[in-house]
Amino acid sequence: MKTSLSSLQKVLSETLAFAYRNYALTKNEFYAIFEMLFWPMISLISVGLLGEFLYLEKDAVAFIIIGVITLSVIQIAQIDVTYVMLLDMWSMSLKYIIVTPTPFYRMVTGAWLFGSLRGFISLVLLILLSAWLFGFTLTLPLTAMAAFILGILLSAMLIGIFNCILILVFGRRAEIFAWTLSAIVMLFCGIYYPVTILPEPFRTLGLLIPITHYLEFFRSFYGFQSVFPNPLAIAIVETIIYLALLLVVAEMSMLRARKTGLVLKLSD
Amino acid sequence: MVKAVECRDVWMVYRTFMEKDTVALRGVDLDVEDGIIFGLLGPNGAGKTTLISILATILIPTKGEVRVLGMDAFKNTRKVRKRINISSGVRLPWGMKVYECLRFYAMCYGITDRKVVDDVISEFELEDHRNKRFDDLSTGNKQRANLARAFLNNPEVVFLDEPTANLDPDMAKKIREMILRIKEERDITIVLTTHNMREAELLCDKIAFIKDGNIVAEGTSEELKRYTKMSERVILRVRGNVDRVNLPYPFRLDGNSLTVFVEDSEKALPSIVVKLAEQGINVESAKTEEITLEDVFIELAEGS
Repeated sequence: MKTSLSSLQKVLSETLAFAYRNYALTKNEFYAIFEMLFWPMISLISVGLLGEFLYLEKDAVAFIIIGVITLSVIQIAQIDVTYVMLLDMWSMSLKYIIVTPTPFYRMVTGAWLFGSLRGFISLVLLILLSAWLFGFTLTLPLTAMAAFILGILLSAMLIGIFNCILILVFGRRAEIFAWTLSAIVMLFCGIYYPVTILPEPFRTLGLLIPITHYLEFFRSFYGFQSVFPNPLAIAIVETIIYLALLLVVAEMSMLRARKTGLVLKLSD
Repeated sequence: MVKAVECRDVWMVYRTFMEKDTVALRGVDLDVEDGIIFGLLGPNGAGKTTLISILATILIPTKGEVRVLGMDAFKNTRKVRKRINISSGVRLPWGMKVYECLRFYAMCYGITDRKVVDDVISEFELEDHRNKRFDDLSTGNKQRANLARAFLNNPEVVFLDEPTANLDPDMAKKIREMILRIKEERDITIVLTTHNMREAELLCDKIAFIKDGNIVAEGTSEELKRYTKMSERVILRVRGNVDRVNLPYPFRLDGNSLTVFVEDSEKALPSIVVKLAEQGINVESAKTEEITLEDVFIELAEGS
């Protein structure tokens, strides 16, 4: 009993290490708080004002506002996961996390937990701000809202892991994806528009991204028709499949980086 | 008895897309006994960092077997990592304070007790810097912080990659003393790389010379000196056609200073003076010294 408790403590410690690191960085670096609040607010206010200018219906405003909020939350949460590799690549200390016994999935889980907290704080602030400035109201039940929030936070994890894989495969050249990948993904998953307006093959591509279905699920509470009858179920299935796949690919990429010597290049 | 480190026929080939492969290690065999300080010496690009990174499970070799503390390093990687650590360079994640950095790494080893971090901070004399950001520390203190990180998990084998590189002589001396003290207190095995021959002589119980990805010589400092079949050097101040020096012994010429490596200076000196005179070179002064590890290093590195 004592042994299993101590093992659990170790697992928790290894996992929370990466949450702790991101917390310390956020606390010490002003820009980390800035990126959490400033750009999301600028995006929200500018898009909201555009909606006012175009005399959009209340539901249409909700349609685009949730797109802005989702993009901001995903961007914030995914960067915390990407930091698992990115921070060590910047400070050239990647070998020191590689040499620890912490498995990759625990690293990203810990980082994701703190990213989720940052993302959730942003989400609440953005919802409050959009309610105050543009009369945005939440019409979906609490459980549905919780499912939506968890869904987009898990989607952020997928993007963060994908970025880590790119760093492990392409090294410093992949750094640019840390900020651009989430925006590219959002382009295909209907951030301000339904995916049905996208030309093929981008429409199919959009349907393969779970965020598309999480957004459709949210928007269904505002009277917008989704492509499939149960967008939440599809989103969850896609999320689980991608998460499992990405974790396997990440482990393979780590092995490859250790075989090719990229790990050392990113540490010197 | 289980050896701390065993390597058999370890090869490492760096394969880069669209570029020529680089062979960093060519069939390295190495045994490091438990409880010693083992030094890896070699010129730049010899493969020291590659080898130490493989031993620390950071890199996977192209071919060969590596055992650390009796375990296959690549089949039991997680188990091995719990019992080893490495310090290489003076880099730790930026944006974090010394205490935060160390606490983060302690947590990565499943260490929940904050006292462990406090103890390491005190052991490495970092109390005055615990709340300073790592990026703001001097190079010497960064090195200390990095060494402190390498001892957080109470490792049985520690790999130190050039632990005194880029440090001023005073700080380098302090770090060397710290390494010796910690080795004694913790009774661990240390494998270190260094360019500094004096450091190797002072710290290492055993030394291996690595050149072009091969171990070319291995032994204690004294054994290595014997290995090159030289035991003394004669330093001569010479005048004349020094560019034409030709002697039946290995020698180094630096301006008017000629260093000749011999087995027995008493026997060799008269014949050296005669040989030089025949070549029109006059000897102004001569002194004899025991050879240093540096002489052996240069001899081995030049492949003569």
